[in-house]
Amino acid sequence: MKERIFQLRNRIRSGEQKAYRQAAVIDILPECDAEGLSWPRRNARLVSRLCGEEKIVILPEENIVFTRTVTSVPAVYSSEEWSSLTSGRTLHELGPVSNICADWDLLISQGLLGRRQVAERTLVRMKLDPLAVDFLNSAIETIDAVLKLAKRYEDQARILGRNDIAEVLRSVPAHPAHNFREALQSLRLCQAVVWLEGNYHVGLGRFDQYMWPCLESDLKTGALTIEKAEELLAEFFIALNKDSDLYPGVQQGDNGQSMTLGGIKPDGSSAVNELTRMVLRVSRDLEMIDPKINLRISSQTDLELLALASELTRKGLGFPQYSNDDVVIPALVAHGYSIEDARDYSVAACWEFIIPGKGMEIVNIGAVSFPAAADRAIRKGLTQGNDFDGILRLTSDEVSQQVQALAEAYELILLPPAPYYSIFMDSCLENGRDLSEGLKYNNLGIHGACVANAADALAVVRQFVFDEQIILPQDLLAALQANFIGFENLRRKLAKDGPKVGCNDDRADKLMVSLFNFLADACEAYGKTARGGILRPGTGSAMYYIWLASGHEGMREPVVGATAEGRPQGEPFSANLASSPGVQTRGPISTLQSFAKIDYQRIINGGPITMELSDSVFRDDESIHKVSMLVKTFAQLGCQQLQLNSLSLETLQDAKEHPEKHKNLIVRVWGWSGYFCELAPEFQDQIIARTMFQLNGISA
Amino acid sequence: MSYGIVFDIQEFSVHDGPGIRTTVFMKGCPLACMWCHNPESQSPQPQVIRNPFGERIAGKEYSSQQLAALLNQQSAILKANGGGVTFSGGEPLSQAPFIADVIDAMDNLHIILDTSGYGARKNFILLLERIDLFFYDLKLIDPGLHKHYTGMDNHLILENLQLLNESGKPFVIRVPLVSGVTDSDENLRNIALTVRHMKGLEEINLLSYNHAAGSKYENVGMQFKPDYDENRPLNRNLEIFEREGIKVKCL
Repeated sequence: MKERIFQLRNRIRSGEQKAYRQAAVIDILPECDAEGLSWPRRNARLVSRLCGEEKIVILPEENIVFTRTVTSVPAVYSSEEWSSLTSGRTLHELGPVSNICADWDLLISQGLLGRRQVAERTLVRMKLDPLAVDFLNSAIETIDAVLKLAKRYEDQARILGRNDIAEVLRSVPAHPAHNFREALQSLRLCQAVVWLEGNYHVGLGRFDQYMWPCLESDLKTGALTIEKAEELLAEFFIALNKDSDLYPGVQQGDNGQSMTLGGIKPDGSSAVNELTRMVLRVSRDLEMIDPKINLRISSQTDLELLALASELTRKGLGFPQYSNDDVVIPALVAHGYSIEDARDYSVAACWEFIIPGKGMEIVNIGAVSFPAAADRAIRKGLTQGNDFDGILRLTSDEVSQQVQALAEAYELILLPPAPYYSIFMDSCLENGRDLSEGLKYNNLGIHGACVANAADALAVVRQFVFDEQIILPQDLLAALQANFIGFENLRRKLAKDGPKVGCNDDRADKLMVSLFNFLADACEAYGKTARGGILRPGTGSAMYYIWLASGHEGMREPVVGATAEGRPQGEPFSANLASSPGVQTRGPISTLQSFAKIDYQRIINGGPITMELSDSVFRDDESIHKVSMLVKTFAQLGCQQLQLNSLSLETLQDAKEHPEKHKNLIVRVWGWSGYFCELAPEFQDQIIARTMFQLNGISA
Repeated sequence: MSYGIVFDIQEFSVHDGPGIRTTVFMKGCPLACMWCHNPESQSPQPQVIRNPFGERIAGKEYSSQQLAALLNQQSAILKANGGGVTFSGGEPLSQAPFIADVIDAMDNLHIILDTSGYGARKNFILLLERIDLFFYDLKLIDPGLHKHYTGMDNHLILENLQLLNESGKPFVIRVPLVSGVTDSDENLRNIALTVRHMKGLEEINLLSYNHAAGSKYENVGMQFKPDYDENRPLNRNLEIFEREGIKVKCL
């Protein structure tokens, strides 16, 4: 990579582009109200006003332009109007449509004018359908706004003597991209505008697929060399990091700018190409948090590609995250996805499998707290004098009640229109319908969170209370009630000697499998939702490994106290698929074997096995090769998703003490990577504790 | 069936031999090398390790059947990835009958013995036929220095090395580099002269000094007392070995 690229990266990291940001807050309410605009038209007006307000910024040395200068997205309704509009309805997270994936090929191959023509044609055909007319006019308004913005950039580029940039912008995003640079520029601008509509977690989908035709032709004609193309790609990646601090998320960095590489094409042939490898190399060399990389693999993926991916893992960015096509594709098919669409899956902001352009899925409507379900069942069952099967039945009931409550809340879901985002979805312009009204797939995802703790809790109860009868039910109940105060020996016994998930020990693993089966049963029993889709059960935990343990404002999920696996109240749970905090495993092989037992044909919403490897594992090429064999083993065992981290404890501890020295230290948090120093202290502490434990095997 | 004390089992132990391997660390060692970085491996009994974050017990008893069953659970994975099981320590020769029983009950996996070579001849013979590859430590050739730095002289080690050579089994000689102790040109030359004509010798690995060596002593109630200068740069004189036509690398 050229020095020029690193300099550009460092300038963006140091925030040079932020100097252009505008302080003024834009108010669009007066005009919306004066014109009596409908909701779709208000959102279109939002996009057109913000595009109009954007200052033109062309940084020295950059070739892929657009820098956001408008820092906030104004409301399109007054708070009174908003309350009456949303009263009695459920809003997902912040409200606007988020965490779906466009079919960016529609932009690259048709251009905005091509999309506009589609809208015009539908407008003629559906002129008697007022809703369609309203939507299509809204979409057209946003297209025109983006074209105007592009034109202003083009003009400014000419004034600055940057005719190269001007020529690119004369072509895109209006027209189909003719070459790789145009394709990157077109995507940069149009994806950035999605955020201006208030949408967030704006995914980049199967980047190495829709971008490849332009790049392939450039490489064939000799217009670009691989080195030159990698430079452009690096610039595009740097551009994705310019405004990421303006994106909404639970923590800084949780922004869903993820892309999915590799896998197979809709026709079943291999989708891996030179761009797949280029993205891995450039991401490895740049070391920035965006874009977040997902790599689709199978038991047949060659070790060379996995070794390249392992070099990226070595950088400690927490990606790539791997998804196993052997498992994911048939599971999607079994849940109503066509085989071609299933083969075309992409990974959402964190883990969930979504079909670009075809899914208006809400992949994470909430979490089922497995620890709460198991804990209530244990306390209730022991109090009532149930046997262990009785406790399991109670657990299953608790799980289904939680599923029911989450799903029922989402029967009242209200999705705001997103006319601009709809431009890049299959069939919205064709059918005159906004994406919020639904696409081909409209399923809802529910994650079963923190399973290891719950399974461990059930396992100790079975082992010590029922099988060995060395702990009396009343003693365990009293200890839980007292948060183990005065019961330290009992707590240690539970924490140290019980069977644990992650050690390939059926006594715990089978209970984990049961918990997920309860979840799948509950989702199946629920049937179709009001949005016409199903409930997809998953294995992710997002921020719930902290929230479910200590509570969080506004969350729907239950909070638990002390739990039977020897965890005092307030201590965090395990994230995603990982052993409970403080459990010493023999290592990654047993862990993979444990999590391979889950029935991934039923548990299909994603959520990775999460493992930390010491950075010493990546010392030489030979050991990196072994990491790639480990990844292959993950696929061969039939696991679904894997996230590997490389961490050094010393670095993390030093970063906590001296953040100024580690501004660029990146860590994986739950489904995303962020800068360590920008995380809230409780997340920093959890990462340090997790690492300390993994590397030293010592806990309190 | 027999019983043994294991102080750790580490899967995906990437620096302990070819492929994906699981390393079993046996507890107990007859040597007490001044630079030992696993002091908890020296005592043959389970013991409590304390550090500022808490405590744990190092050392767990397994029956040979139990340990073999545990390792057999992953034999397909280890085989498919060109790996196997490495027995290390502590000193595995001290629990040779147990290890032999474990190996006999295992699914024909590739086995490495990572040994100091210090053990009774009959124990060495017991394992010799069951091991596919040896990682054999040679620290010091001078018996007096060996006794000073490890607590024992080296005659058993050199005798077992002869046995190993006569067996025709492949082995890698590992030399822990300790500045001013094992890394002198004289010692390295003596090592080269000792092994240069040995037909089973695959290569020599020079292991860099572990600067965290002293970090765990307090946790097990022991004292770290090096009489050498830990910070003096190591003498990585590869040429001494190359001159004899011996393949050598630093790890």
